[in-house]
Amino acid sequence: MSNSRLKHCRRRLLVDPPASAATDIAFILIIFFLVCASVQPDTGRSQTIPRSEEQQDKSRQSRNIEVSMSPGAVVVNGNVVAIEDVQAKLKSLLAGRQREADRIVVVKSAPATTYDRWITVTGQIEEAGGIITLKLEKQKEIIID
Amino acid sequence: MKLKRQKFDASIPSVAMGDIAFLLLIFFVILARAQDDSHLRWDPASSENVANVGNPLASIVIDADGKYFLNGKQTTIDSLSTKLGSVLGNIPSGNRAVMFKVDKATTAELFEPAIEAISRAGGDLVHILEPEKEE
Repeated sequence: MSNSRLKHCRRRLLVDPPASAATDIAFILIIFFLVCASVQPDTGRSQTIPRSEEQQDKSRQSRNIEVSMSPGAVVVNGNVVAIEDVQAKLKSLLAGRQREADRIVVVKSAPATTYDRWITVTGQIEEAGGIITLKLEKQKEIIID
Repeated sequence: MKLKRQKFDASIPSVAMGDIAFLLLIFFVILARAQDDSHLRWDPASSENVANVGNPLASIVIDADGKYFLNGKQTTIDSLSTKLGSVLGNIPSGNRAVMFKVDKATTAELFEPAIEAISRAGGDLVHILEPEKEE
């Protein structure tokens, strides 16, 4: 094979793609990534929280199950319960309660409780069949002259 | 004597179409980015039972720094309920879903008032969580 023929073959391999197609390629790539980004749906859990009221019926409140949580412990009706046992404990407490009003579980969180922990505990309450109600304590600022 | 009219070629240059479409696309992408909350930094909590949520009307984010955002715009906890109420308007109950995106390390003193604000505005609370990974 002669040298001139070899050179000719190499030149054929190094053919640049037409520059006019670059925009079209970029356009199609953008469409591809946009579609990929938009098809990923959000996942989550809906939660029914009753509308907030300033005061509640004291007699009804005393009948409700109360779950208090802090960064270190979960307390159900005054008894400390391990976080993995909350569902079983609530199931036994809610057994026999048919009416929605009787299945209300009052959730009280210490200010330092993390969202991660709160989601775990409230998830267990819902699994046990409880209806979550939040008990919030308002801070009042009193200025003394 | 007849004068010939000079004819001008008035066709739109088709070579530039790709560039125009490209710039329009960039423009709309930037416009959409300004309205959503994808630029915010938050680490979702995980849960066993999660389902796909639809397209809620509003999203509230509490980011890793404890700042509140309504539909991508920073807001304060005091004005959250009012602003959310105006976003939800008179939409009937059941269609008033609000995405609640909270960084998992956020404490109750920050996220509970936001839940209360959603409740006061009549929103349907949807916690955005990631599915728990099996070990």
